[in-house]
Amino acid sequence: MTSWFVRLVSRVRGLFGQEEANSEFDLETETHLQLLTERFIRQGMDPKDAWSAARRQFGNKTLLRQHHRESRVLFYLPNLFRDLRYGVRMLLKSPGFSLIAGLTLALGIGATAAVFSLIQGVLLTPPPYQQPQQLMLIPSARTDGKKMDSPRGWPAQQWMEWNQRAGSFQGMAGYGWTFNFLIRNDGSQSMQGMEVSKDYFRIMGLKTVLGHGFDDSDFGQGHVKSILLGYEFWQRAFGGDKDIIGKTVRISRWDSSPVVIGITEPGARFLPSPGAAKEPNYDVNATVDLWVPAAPDPKSMKDPDWYVVGRLRDGVAPQRGQQELAALTANEASTEKQFEGFTPKLEPLTDEMNRDGRRILLPLLGAAALVLLIACGNAAALLLVRGLQRQQEYAVRIAMGMGRGGLLRQVLSESLLLAIFGGTMGVGLAVAAVKLFKLIAGHAVPRLDGVTPGWAVLGWGLGLAVLAAFFAGAIPALPAYRLNPMDVLKDAGPKGTAGIGERRLLRGVAMLQTALTLALLVGAGLLIRTMMEIAQVPSGYNTNHILTMSVTEVQSHDSWLPFHKQALERVSAIPGVQYAAFAWGVPLTGNNWPATMDIEGQPTAAKESDKIAVPLRAATPDYFKLMGLALISGREFRFTDDDKAPKVAIVNQAFERRYFPNSNSVGRKIWLRGRDKPGIQIVGEIANARTDDLTEQPSPEVYLPLWQAQAFSKHLVVRTSADPRTVIVAIERELRAVDPTAAIENVKTLDQIRDDSLASRTFAMHLLTGFSILGSVLTLVGIYGLISLSVASRRRELAIRSAVGAQQKDIRRLIFGEGFRLIAGGVLAGIALAVILSRVLRSFLFEVRPSDPATLIMVGALFVGVALLACWAPVRRAGNVDPLEALRYE
Amino acid sequence: MSADRSEVLQGTLDMMILKTLHALGPLHGFGIARRIEQVSEDVLTLNEGTVYTSLLRLQQQGWIESEWGTSENNRKARFYSITRKGRKQLAIETENWERISGVIGRVLRMEAQK
Repeated sequence: MTSWFVRLVSRVRGLFGQEEANSEFDLETETHLQLLTERFIRQGMDPKDAWSAARRQFGNKTLLRQHHRESRVLFYLPNLFRDLRYGVRMLLKSPGFSLIAGLTLALGIGATAAVFSLIQGVLLTPPPYQQPQQLMLIPSARTDGKKMDSPRGWPAQQWMEWNQRAGSFQGMAGYGWTFNFLIRNDGSQSMQGMEVSKDYFRIMGLKTVLGHGFDDSDFGQGHVKSILLGYEFWQRAFGGDKDIIGKTVRISRWDSSPVVIGITEPGARFLPSPGAAKEPNYDVNATVDLWVPAAPDPKSMKDPDWYVVGRLRDGVAPQRGQQELAALTANEASTEKQFEGFTPKLEPLTDEMNRDGRRILLPLLGAAALVLLIACGNAAALLLVRGLQRQQEYAVRIAMGMGRGGLLRQVLSESLLLAIFGGTMGVGLAVAAVKLFKLIAGHAVPRLDGVTPGWAVLGWGLGLAVLAAFFAGAIPALPAYRLNPMDVLKDAGPKGTAGIGERRLLRGVAMLQTALTLALLVGAGLLIRTMMEIAQVPSGYNTNHILTMSVTEVQSHDSWLPFHKQALERVSAIPGVQYAAFAWGVPLTGNNWPATMDIEGQPTAAKESDKIAVPLRAATPDYFKLMGLALISGREFRFTDDDKAPKVAIVNQAFERRYFPNSNSVGRKIWLRGRDKPGIQIVGEIANARTDDLTEQPSPEVYLPLWQAQAFSKHLVVRTSADPRTVIVAIERELRAVDPTAAIENVKTLDQIRDDSLASRTFAMHLLTGFSILGSVLTLVGIYGLISLSVASRRRELAIRSAVGAQQKDIRRLIFGEGFRLIAGGVLAGIALAVILSRVLRSFLFEVRPSDPATLIMVGALFVGVALLACWAPVRRAGNVDPLEALRYE
Repeated sequence: MSADRSEVLQGTLDMMILKTLHALGPLHGFGIARRIEQVSEDVLTLNEGTVYTSLLRLQQQGWIESEWGTSENNRKARFYSITRKGRKQLAIETENWERISGVIGRVLRMEAQK
């Protein structure tokens, strides 16, 4: 333990029992004085003389007493109050200064506190599972280390064996994603849920808030008899009605109506089911609407139907679990051919949950912190200049006996007050900012619905304020600490000027601000260029004048075909509708069916993991015309390609290039369920399109006729001649006319879908642009202030220069040079900083390198230009210094 | 202040008090002041109040501890005694002091080079 720490602890302890300690000290010194007096009397002194001699020998008792009191405790409360009271008075005395400095800090604190609140809500709030750090997701990977073409779960036989034999785990549970509709007579409501094995709730540590959880009798084959509802869905769909427990609900595609037996606690979200990720309603960050008990079917124990989560035993490292499972799995694969080629790859649940949030929020936090630093720089400069104006006051205080420590405390408590004032305003800004973020973020930040601007914002804001007070207060405190009262009192110089040393310090601060601002500007510039690049990417299809909505017929399998045929006829007849189609796999929605297939001319896969995986889509005949996807060869789908006609498919150019590089794909065959079953004939080839992601090259695709593929959930896609939103009401009316229970959800134009697919980039771009504008304004104000101060401080020098013959333009060049050197230095340092920092944005960039020279040069030149403008006014003022007046004034 | 009396060097008072407590056992502030006066044979002047500042410092470091008791003429007084940590510190400081004062002494005794 170092000695300063020992003393600190003792001083903190000293805060308690101060009264007692003071009186003890008085008693001790009093005794000493009496003993000393008696001693002098014994030596023959007159009692009166003895008393004063004793006091002389003892020294100044009052001073000693005060010194003792202050060094016994960490801070002396009455002093602290006095400092703060005085600080408030000083701040109120110059309201303009206080307001500007406070606002500056508020901007920085507000930005940072807002991003912190998002981080608190998204990354730091643990999921409602017990000891979530023990939970491990167990996705599968290929043993040969190659990338999986499509995600794959685990067969029940495998994970149930792990559950029995893996000693490093408390247990395992299987789960899957499920999607259905709550059937209601006035339009059905979609719900996404989890199918969970018996141990799921126990392993996750998830509880019910109402009713009770599943018991073993709920897990059997056949009809599902009981379900749980998620808290949020219960509130949304049933208005939190407690009487729902014990009642049955109607669910689409289920033969029987299950009983609701309980409600789970709020905030229970999905675990990833990568195989279902292409479903239109899959949202892993949503809260679970519905819980369905599921038991492995003895007939399909070898099918990879399950995703698996496990809980490690206390104190067991994930690596050990990984080794153990890998060994078990290798053993299983050696006895069963269907298990060959896959190995588990443990992943902590919290890592997986936070990956997307971390990717976007951490760079934004960095950007906000830069804004805060820039704001602190301005506040520090303001405080320093004000401190210089008050040097006389400080000098008098020191001369009157105030200690340096006391002066330092005084200066710091003023900056603390300022920062708390700024912090309070900043919290207000942060609350507004969090609301704004939630509005514009869309899907950019996962689980944003769980973030509420509350105590977290306040806490972060005030915490940051203290930090800011330290940063902004340290610089002005230094000159005050080193102040020599003699010099200051002797030299009653002009106020509002700064010496070389202070100006150099401020120049350093301004240069740092410029560098930080440039890093922000470069980040924003890179993202803006990325968005421009993306806007120019040929997507291969139209996005305007297209309306989409998910439409689902929830009644029964038999009514599927009539409903969709009638619906298409009616919707096509609406005035303003050019084309209407149903489709599964609308671009940029992320939908498709991941499938493995055999392709004519390609070798049959030897291993399960080697099968060709190509995503499937499905559409009704007019879809390609509607989307503007050109037919290259063969034919489009016809209304006659229905479930009675031979199976057909249309592929894209990328498919042909990959699997038939030297010939035509039309006329060839593919097989979805093995070559021994009837194949599907390829009848057409369409142009490539970036359907998955605008930033990725088109990949092979296969389209099936919707009448043959019969997708349950799908989109109705409509192309209109005018604004597509004008026909929404008419379409809903026509659909309801066919079946009032039909579910109509997610009404969006394709343009909106396109914007959603770019949400994280757009969000990052908006925020970074906002932050960099904020940073730029603060820095420009800082540069303006610094050059103005410099001109004021060098007035006398400038006057002498002009008196001995310097022209106006020489003087201007001198000051301009000072500004230019400062800005150029800051910009160069900023470019170096930006090259390093912008790497964190790599995953957001498209066709732009983090060190893109064009962006660096453009941003650098732009900032130099604007910053030189900020120097303009003070440079002019310098040129107009009248030598006579200036010299007389001194 | 007469020319043949020197002020106590900053920092050395702590050491002198530690040594005093080490040599004589528990003492009150007055006793410590007397002892230093006696040992220094009036060569050193001491603002006796500073003894208490030093005592507080030593106590905060944990090198001495204190206890209320009764003085020889029945007055309530606080008695200070050295702790184990204090003894260790005293040993270190004594060694330091001897080394440095030895060096300084040698330097000051150096004869001019002929």
